[in-house]
Amino acid sequence: MIQLLLNALSLTAAYSLLAMGFVLVLNATGAVNLAHGSFVIVGGLIAAALGSWLNLPGAALLPVVMAGMVLIGGGLALIAYYPLRDRPAVSVFISTISMGAILETASRLLFGPSPRVAPPIISSGSFQVGGVTVGIQAVSMIVLAVLLVGAQYVILSRTTLGKRLRAVAEDREIATTLGINVNTMILVTFGIAAALAGSAGLMFANTFYITPGDGEAYMIKTYVAATMGGWGSLRGAVAGALIVSIFEVLVPSLPVVIPVMAGAQSLFSPTASTIWLYLAFLIVLFFRPQGLFGEAVQQRA
Amino acid sequence: MKAIGAAAFAISAIYSWSACAQEVNLTVPIIVPITGLLALEGTSQLNGANLAVAHAPAGLKIKSQVIDSGTAAEGGANALERVATAKDVDFVVAPLFGTQVLAMLPTALDYKMPILAPTGTGPVTEQGNPYMFRLYPNDAISKVAHIRYVVDDLKLKKAAILYNTTGYGQSGFKFMSEYITKLGGEVVFSEGIDLSTKEISATLAKVQAAKPDVILVQMHSASIAMVVKQIAASGIKTPVVGNTTIAMPATASLLQPSDLKGVCAESASWVEKGKSPASDKFLEDYIAKFGAPPDAYAIQQYDGLMMALTAVKSGARSAEDVRKYMSSNSYEGVAMTYKSDGKGNLAHSVVIVCYDGTSLTPKLVKRYDDIAAF
Amino acid sequence: MNSAVRFRSLLAGAGLVALVAWPLVMSSPYDLRLFTLAGVFAILAIGYQFIFGYVGELSLAQGAFFGFSAYVTGILAAKGGQGFLVTLPASIIASVVLASLIAVPVLRLASHYFALATLGVGQVLLLLAIDWQSLTGGAIGLSGVTLPNVLGFQIGRGWPMLLLVWSFVGIAALVAFQTKRGLYGLACHVVRQNAVAAKALAIDPNALRFAMFLLSAALAGVAGALYAHTIRIVSPEGLDFKVMISCLTIAVIGGRTHIWGAIAGALIVIHLPEWLRSFEQSYLIITSVVLILILIVAPEGLAGLVDRALPPKTRIPTTAASVGALAESSGSGVLMPSETPILTIDGLTKTFGGVHALNAVSFSLMRGSITAVIGPNGSGKTTLVNCITGLYRADAGQITLGRSTITTLEPYRISSLGIGRTFQNLRLVEDMTVLDNVAVARFQTEKASFRETLFVGARDPMLERARHHALRALRQLGLEQMAGTKCGSLAHGTKRLVEIARALCLDPTVLLLDEPAAGLNETEQADLAVHLESLAARGLTMLIIEHNMEFLRSLATQMICLDYGQLIAAGRPREIYKNERVIEAYVGRRQAAEMPA
Repeated sequence: MIQLLLNALSLTAAYSLLAMGFVLVLNATGAVNLAHGSFVIVGGLIAAALGSWLNLPGAALLPVVMAGMVLIGGGLALIAYYPLRDRPAVSVFISTISMGAILETASRLLFGPSPRVAPPIISSGSFQVGGVTVGIQAVSMIVLAVLLVGAQYVILSRTTLGKRLRAVAEDREIATTLGINVNTMILVTFGIAAALAGSAGLMFANTFYITPGDGEAYMIKTYVAATMGGWGSLRGAVAGALIVSIFEVLVPSLPVVIPVMAGAQSLFSPTASTIWLYLAFLIVLFFRPQGLFGEAVQQRA
Repeated sequence: MKAIGAAAFAISAIYSWSACAQEVNLTVPIIVPITGLLALEGTSQLNGANLAVAHAPAGLKIKSQVIDSGTAAEGGANALERVATAKDVDFVVAPLFGTQVLAMLPTALDYKMPILAPTGTGPVTEQGNPYMFRLYPNDAISKVAHIRYVVDDLKLKKAAILYNTTGYGQSGFKFMSEYITKLGGEVVFSEGIDLSTKEISATLAKVQAAKPDVILVQMHSASIAMVVKQIAASGIKTPVVGNTTIAMPATASLLQPSDLKGVCAESASWVEKGKSPASDKFLEDYIAKFGAPPDAYAIQQYDGLMMALTAVKSGARSAEDVRKYMSSNSYEGVAMTYKSDGKGNLAHSVVIVCYDGTSLTPKLVKRYDDIAAF
Repeated sequence: MNSAVRFRSLLAGAGLVALVAWPLVMSSPYDLRLFTLAGVFAILAIGYQFIFGYVGELSLAQGAFFGFSAYVTGILAAKGGQGFLVTLPASIIASVVLASLIAVPVLRLASHYFALATLGVGQVLLLLAIDWQSLTGGAIGLSGVTLPNVLGFQIGRGWPMLLLVWSFVGIAALVAFQTKRGLYGLACHVVRQNAVAAKALAIDPNALRFAMFLLSAALAGVAGALYAHTIRIVSPEGLDFKVMISCLTIAVIGGRTHIWGAIAGALIVIHLPEWLRSFEQSYLIITSVVLILILIVAPEGLAGLVDRALPPKTRIPTTAASVGALAESSGSGVLMPSETPILTIDGLTKTFGGVHALNAVSFSLMRGSITAVIGPNGSGKTTLVNCITGLYRADAGQITLGRSTITTLEPYRISSLGIGRTFQNLRLVEDMTVLDNVAVARFQTEKASFRETLFVGARDPMLERARHHALRALRQLGLEQMAGTKCGSLAHGTKRLVEIARALCLDPTVLLLDEPAAGLNETEQADLAVHLESLAARGLTMLIIEHNMEFLRSLATQMICLDYGQLIAAGRPREIYKNERVIEAYVGRRQAAEMPA
């Protein structure tokens, strides 16, 4: 049971990075970046490639991966967002889908179609705590995510760059009048989002392996997490990540935890649990579309 | 003297002319998934096919035509429609993707074009289509070996079955649960997992709670690697007997040798050094050309294509000739002997390989030939 | 202009010829098969245009409807042995039922939530298809779907199947053509471009969105059934999100509302992977790059490009019947403002986050009067109008029109009861002509419904009558010369007048004008005042929000003044101008603004 909780927490940690990056871009641009899932793959594959080449732990590779992802994120913004920023939202929708396809295909061409493994953040061993086996990777994921989220928080609230980023996310027009280069800030935001997603990719590539085709699943989870937690809210992103993890780890394990449910196995299979997640997602949309932490949504015209 | 010289010249001219006349030009369309979820297996298939083209018997000039069947159900059928009318095409390599092959069957029948596919998924030879040639042992057969080994050799009867929710996984699960019950065992737990699912600790917790004495797996590469890794990491000691993907080098390379201790796999084909000159050449060339040992899909595709080329070499000049040959003759491939059972199933041998925990290459443990379904 | 139109017709003719010639020229079985599949996706895309193009909603359910219908057909055909005459209607009905089940909760969501909800539904269906093996055959799907058999006539592969599919494309195109060219189509366009304006014109946006959603599902049902019969198996791949992406791509490439765009887009999207086959894996990269380029260069798709280069002919009705002035009431002559209150506001209160935008405002409008509403900026004047028209729901108080209470009614109901309005920030549809902008106000009166629209002949009589009426309203304000001009190219003052004409076209009993004189020069103001007076004389009750005191001086019979949401003075204009509280409100504000910060 503790094992499951730990896994759920480390999964939440990684998904939080995904959801927060997604929300950062959403706030700054109002646009949905559907290539976000492919950021995970690229980051993971870079980590895997570097890992097999250099033989270093994930923590050492992290800065390189993040730097690379910043460039890719910025590049994507230049190609898929910038020329379409004044068009209706659906244009960016489609252009980012296309960019995701490009990133995925390029990854497959570069790295091959096989699943790959990246080195663990620190080590893949485990230690015993009161009879429970605790994986070092699982713990490192949580620690790393907390550090990254913390770093992001510090940047956003304490540094000048962060203030500028927030101004742009708050109101682009006012930011322009304040003399902030909105376009650069948007590029930076995309870069940060990509870096966060890439770090999650680095973590996943060790625990779960990484294949070029994984992007779509991560994208949907990010989308669901951001929506349920609160569209546009960073706190909500973490909450949403937790909800997704619960449905992924804890709901399917209910028959073990609560023996009386063991009779209804098929209701708690991974497929069924995913259906429950989507149903919960739909219920949230119907009754509280702004999610747990989002701002109240004005009823449409 | 001059007359003999002239005669010799004439004779050699006639000889070389008839030799040239014997050279056969053939285009072999290779329709495999190079993109999408089965890209890994499809690429293996492609590699095996390309090597067969390179090893083609003398006198055959083969041009291969590679077409990506992608992910859509009709991907293979569209491609078949395009190539089936070409004059120099007598047979087609089809994808390992069961759903795509099913969609291709009506087209193959319409054009009377034999298709060769290393797919194990059940229904493709149940449609009564004489143009379907299955290169991979039918799931109905390979799972016999899988379960036989577990029950007869390992003497284990309480199984937990984990499978992917793909055609391949669902088919394997169906047969495994049927067979183990037939042999007096029981399925204490089973769960289908989506290909994209990564977090399986809940499933493993449920497996442990069911207390099986063996864990049977029918999954694709990344999924089965994760299962094995997490089983090893959580210290579960229950033996694991999986499907062929865990015997694939691409899968094993994701794991540590220690993770694989006690893991066995049912594999349709196995090629070990020293078996025969032909198989040694195959192994060497494959490793030299593609940088890694071949997996079951590559091996099976190689053998199947070589069988068809042998048909051409022995005189088959049309699609109908090829079909006749493939339906009635037997062929000694690098992995096994292939002979149709009348329904298009060519492969009837399955091996069991096991890892000993010290290397990433498993060892052959048992061989089942001429298996009949239960 | 003429040459562009002629060239356009030429292009249309050439396109049609090319379409027919295509399968004749590329006639290998493979090409015919692809052409048939393109037809299936053309039907899907035409259907998608109803919800995505006509009413502008980003639905992500079209792929789900498609896959769902394919399964209905597959299960009925492969497992139930049913023929085409059963599978086709069954698929359509099943798809429409599914759509209506999810439409009710989902349509009222704002745009990206709507998209997400439809996405969620699609994902659930995909998982069910994989898991419910006994019904759907699981991941490998169901094979053995037969080719269609219509009334004993077995449709074979190749040409017969192609013709069957493309005759359905023709039917779909016809349905689309009928829907969009009449008054109904105009109303859809207004809903898409400016839903708030639609509500002020007695058009219920939700009803139209619902109808279009169901229609898109019906066509998806046709496409799904034909798809299953074409490839002869059904599998979860049909429910994959990739199908939805293809559909969306077709709509983007082809254009949101043009039928030929959907057909061209489908042909391109189906054939592009084949044309680029030689690039093997990289073809995905190339198609994606091409798609992004199209998005950047041609945002409205190919259809938009063609429209920009060769603008379509805009028809101006030349019917000059009944040139007489609008004869609203039976009698003639001038009616004095009566003592009958037509609109009563009682204790109206509206707060926004603790701030009182309106605080217990009470007054009445007498029939035939012109009441001016004045007050400093932010005093709640527009909020008042928004509450009366139902855009805002009042927190307390009551609004009565004649004898009915309208406080809690939907905006489109209120406008259908006879309250017309104009907007402070103009809400005209820029890409529609003046005439059509005004004509769409007749939607409710003409009872334009989808069913009616489907069966109109060469000319939509409802649209003709509406345009007629619109022309009269335009004449009233001297705007008939502008009838054929696109609203986007008008001067600001003219636009204001057009909005007034539009509201008048509704035949309202009460007209609420929000700063009608803004942007008009003095002559125009004088003209407008004259027009408004004559309207009042014929019994139209008016409420005018204005800052321009000169304009109001001779016009208003009554005046009320708001300050910080409270009604601080009511009465005759002359008295209001001398009212101390009113002066203080204005002066006080100015002083506050002039004081050093």
